[in-house]
Amino acid sequence: MRHRLRDPVTGLLFVLPMLVLFLIFKIFPTLGAAGMSLTNWNIGGEWSFIGADNYTRLVNDPNFWSSLRATLVYTVIYVPLVMAVSLGTALLLNSIVFMRGLFRGMLFLPYVTSFVFAGIIWRWIFEFDGLVNGVLAKLDLGPVGFMERAELVLPALAVVSCWKGFGYSMLILLAGLKAIPGSYLEAAKVDGAGPWQRFRGITLPLLKPALFFVLVIETIASFQVFDTIYVMTGGGPAKASYTLIYGIFERGFRFWEFGYAATWGMVLFAIVLVVSLIQRRFIGKENT
Amino acid sequence: MTMTAARPATAQARPAARPRRHGRRWPLYTLLAVMSLLTLGPFIAMVIVALSPRNAPTVPAQWPDSLTLDNLTQVLGASGFAEWTLNSLVYSGVSVVIILLTASMAGYAFAKKRFPGRDTMLWTFLATMMVPFQATLIPLYVLVSDFDGADTFWGLIVPTLANSQAVFLMRQFIMGLPDELFDAAKVDGASELRVYWTIVVPLTKPILATLGVFVFLWHWNDFLWPLVISQSDATRTLTVGLTVLKTEEAQWSMLMSSAAISAVPCLLVFFLLQRYLVNSIAMTGLK
Repeated sequence: MRHRLRDPVTGLLFVLPMLVLFLIFKIFPTLGAAGMSLTNWNIGGEWSFIGADNYTRLVNDPNFWSSLRATLVYTVIYVPLVMAVSLGTALLLNSIVFMRGLFRGMLFLPYVTSFVFAGIIWRWIFEFDGLVNGVLAKLDLGPVGFMERAELVLPALAVVSCWKGFGYSMLILLAGLKAIPGSYLEAAKVDGAGPWQRFRGITLPLLKPALFFVLVIETIASFQVFDTIYVMTGGGPAKASYTLIYGIFERGFRFWEFGYAATWGMVLFAIVLVVSLIQRRFIGKENT
Repeated sequence: MTMTAARPATAQARPAARPRRHGRRWPLYTLLAVMSLLTLGPFIAMVIVALSPRNAPTVPAQWPDSLTLDNLTQVLGASGFAEWTLNSLVYSGVSVVIILLTASMAGYAFAKKRFPGRDTMLWTFLATMMVPFQATLIPLYVLVSDFDGADTFWGLIVPTLANSQAVFLMRQFIMGLPDELFDAAKVDGASELRVYWTIVVPLTKPILATLGVFVFLWHWNDFLWPLVISQSDATRTLTVGLTVLKTEEAQWSMLMSSAAISAVPCLLVFFLLQRYLVNSIAMTGLK
């Protein structure tokens, strides 16, 4: 305790390298994004202050609204899907003992790979002569153009992200399930509660914090989907998978309109901020 | 505690209940086997396509008549591929070393030191977690390329080192170390740097190893930042290289071979450190 008070300089010196990195590469760009969204910054580095022009352009840009729609549709498909798969597998793993480690490992495996890797494999799986259509052909169905039909491309992308990512949420939920005292469930069983009643009455309420955490993490992740879209669809067909991040990327690095691209970024920032603040509010309530 | 409470009951019931229990468990195992097959299926398909001869019809239309390693050797010898792999190794390796050093130093200071502005800094670090990287992508790119960092290694690596998750993890862990350790070293006249190097680093080895694995995976699998900042094979990472290959190469056998090779380090990490990864996610929520 004494030496902690004695010398404030060493503390600062130890933080300094990370602090400098943060100031330059996190805080400055965050403020910079807000600033740039008010300019017409272009590839030449020339810019002038144009006030809220980018924002008026944004609300009048049909591309923006369709990208927001694509992002929301993707979220609405992806989040329930990944929640169901990770909760289902976590519940299954939690109710077995024999070979649990093996199954857990197999289910977790895709998590360590990259989204680009996942995108390449699944692009082939969804091809006309790919795995899914091969199976459908055996059932005398198809072929289905998963990457060619506007209404199928977002569900297909959600499946890919789910495959790649559900292992993480599964582990979080499994840890949550393990923390539920077995005696609660035993007691309920003695009192004659069936499996469904035990799940509804004990498991689900006690798992709520973990479920909420996973819900928030996955919702934020769904707004940030990019790699698989870049690899698999390029935003198509007919902009059906043109999401917010894809818009930032294309505005910035295909059209080199940095100011306008930063404006798209601010929308993403606002959405993620709202979700994070909701999380903070609810978790604050849980703790008190 | 709950385990010990539950154990006697199951132990007593075991002889009679065992066959019946297994009987009731088979639907669970069937479901798990189906899920595992769906999860592993894409990997298996990838390997089969990667080993199929060029232009051969392949699964699911028909199983390849023969398997070949030609695609794999051809990918390894293809222009760019070795360079991309090396770049990915540099990107991940250098980032691991620097993040472990700077984050453990910062974590130590935040956990055990008092200095002006400490709490404000900590809160600011925490707040930056809510800023999605993609929202700062444009200013970050402009900043780095204004300093001629586009298509350079420093431009690729340095902006990705500011990592609040790493700082917080280290702080939480070091806060749990007893103060007496540091006081005793101070009384013995050890310098601050010595305390850091001989006490903090050895005692945080388990968490440093965990963090190192995660930082490695994050960087090895990273895509958007390398995509915009690398403009030639000189700094292109494997993930970016794969997408270049995908636009140039029409053969799925070649693409699958490339993808398979790109995932080898991740799969190695998985097979060697699976238990470690699994436990640290459950305990720390690192993502």
